[in-house]
Amino acid sequence: MKKVLFALIAFSIAFSISSCKKDDPAETGPGAIDIEFDNIAVVNGIQRQLSLVTPGSTDYTYQNGMGQDFNINLLRYYISGIKLEGPNGELFEDHVHVDVSGTEGIYLVDESDLSTGVINLENVPAGQYNKITFTVGVDEDGVQEGAAGGVLDPATCHMFWNWNSGYIAVKFEGQSPVSNGGTSGGETVDGTSPNGIVYHVGGWRDMPGTAFVKNNKTLTFDFDTNARVQKGLQPRVHMVFDVLSLFKGQNMIDFTGNHNVHKPTDGQPVAENIPAAFAFDHVHQ
Amino acid sequence: MFNREEPSRLLPNFRFMRVLILSAAVGILLVACQRDDISTGKDTYALNRPDYFPEIAYPVATNPITRAGFELGKKLFNDPRLSLDNSIACSNCHVKAVAFTDPQHNPSVGIFEQSGSRNAPMIANMAFQSEFLWNGGVSHLDFVPVFAIENEKEMGETLADVIRKLNRTDDYPPLFKKAFPKIDTITSPYMLKALSQYMLLLVSDNSKYDQSVRGELQLTAEEAAGLDIFNRKCANCHSGALFTNHDFLNNGLDSVFEDEGRALISETDDDLGKFKVPSLRNVTLTAPYMHDGRFKTLQQVLDHYRSGVKDAPTLAPELKKDGQLGIALTDDEVEKLILFLETLTDYDFVSNPVF
Repeated sequence: MKKVLFALIAFSIAFSISSCKKDDPAETGPGAIDIEFDNIAVVNGIQRQLSLVTPGSTDYTYQNGMGQDFNINLLRYYISGIKLEGPNGELFEDHVHVDVSGTEGIYLVDESDLSTGVINLENVPAGQYNKITFTVGVDEDGVQEGAAGGVLDPATCHMFWNWNSGYIAVKFEGQSPVSNGGTSGGETVDGTSPNGIVYHVGGWRDMPGTAFVKNNKTLTFDFDTNARVQKGLQPRVHMVFDVLSLFKGQNMIDFTGNHNVHKPTDGQPVAENIPAAFAFDHVHQ
Repeated sequence: MFNREEPSRLLPNFRFMRVLILSAAVGILLVACQRDDISTGKDTYALNRPDYFPEIAYPVATNPITRAGFELGKKLFNDPRLSLDNSIACSNCHVKAVAFTDPQHNPSVGIFEQSGSRNAPMIANMAFQSEFLWNGGVSHLDFVPVFAIENEKEMGETLADVIRKLNRTDDYPPLFKKAFPKIDTITSPYMLKALSQYMLLLVSDNSKYDQSVRGELQLTAEEAAGLDIFNRKCANCHSGALFTNHDFLNNGLDSVFEDEGRALISETDDDLGKFKVPSLRNVTLTAPYMHDGRFKTLQQVLDHYRSGVKDAPTLAPELKKDGQLGIALTDDEVEKLILFLETLTDYDFVSNPVF
């Protein structure tokens, strides 16, 4: 009798466990995940929070790879086409939809509004994720949809080139004492700013032998731990973007040289530094 | 609204039938109001592609054309409030009577009496093109007005300010709501979509030439002779139903380039002095000619091709065949060519009250 009772209990426990695993939507239902883009400055190997200055400020906090001082008024960039992958074939591709009424799947990270750095992805299939792919910039499909709303609205986001139509991927403006100013087309500095530096990096199409250069970068990063997605959990993947790395690495950017960048070719040296400026940092489960 | 009702419940109900018939009649009347010509069934507010035209390049599905959207676009096109000092509308330099070009000024004049650097191009048959401006820098029709609005020599205004101004008016918010019922505030993409709806319907396809293509009439012997000369000597570049191969070419205006043209954006010496091959439709109306409007008459243009072509490494090969600069044309051929070019004028287009 005891044996039977034990078997019954064991069976019912086993059944309840297995039913938990199979039927509990908390484990199998899709969940959410946050991707945080944290703009930082890596100084002597130490990550520091980025600080913006008032335009015209002569308070210089940062140095480029050539030891030239600078500060930052404005930093804004597009992230699009986010894809997450996992070790067991997990795959999530963020839906990109560009439309006059609004834009989905393209995000504008603006350092002046830290909330824009957190991208909340919903309806992610449950599973483990350990790899992220995304594009810095807006690719051809987004441009060729024509006038679009939301983060692509050229009137409110100021990330659009009208003379060579397309979206700026990364927009940077600031001051450097070694710059002799004379910039144009900036939001925070103009021709009268004595030390302005303006780097508007864009370009969405490649035409060999011409200045139509694609400066958008598609980057992939592995995580050191898995991010577990399921209903009720909301892990956060923490990515960092070292702004100082825009100006060093593959190409040294000299602020005494062309510091008024508005064309795809002019922006190419900075664009080539973009991949190394981004890094995976950690996962909060 | 009717198909929600069950037909079995609806049919025996004669009162309902009367309402149905009356409503249908009103419906037909309403539809009829939107059509300019019931006999042809041609809807004024639909984009119709003549079967001998190129495919429609604009993604119309992303911007369905409606009467309200078109009329809003037309109002915006004619509104000087789109410029910095409320003085210059799109229609200042794109005048309907001359196929939406600028006959007065060379080059066109923007805000504060500033001269632009280029000749205002025709706005017609935009739906069939995918690269815009003389240098092709803009690759979508929606974005063409942004260039003109923000160009400091043209309308000199920011898109953000235009939107702010429009939202403050009494007239625009209800018109936007009518054209785009989903919206509560005017935003720039909706303004640009409305302008595109207007420009998309500016189809010029009823010149004497078109009528001859459709078999509705015959060109005169001299016009036909002109067409034959045209096909032999001009149609390599001015090809197809729009009379352009959509390429960027140097047609021998200069050896030294004050305006580098396509090279300004492509930054390659291979494109120095190259400009978009313009459509020749309505060409008798669209003087002055060339990107900088240097020629006032078609005679001058043809004289240029006969004897004025200047050599340069980027010169179109058609203009240097067998080492000879230019196109050999006799006086008689020039005369006939001009007679043919006159058949490309679409008087219905420039006098259409809908536009």
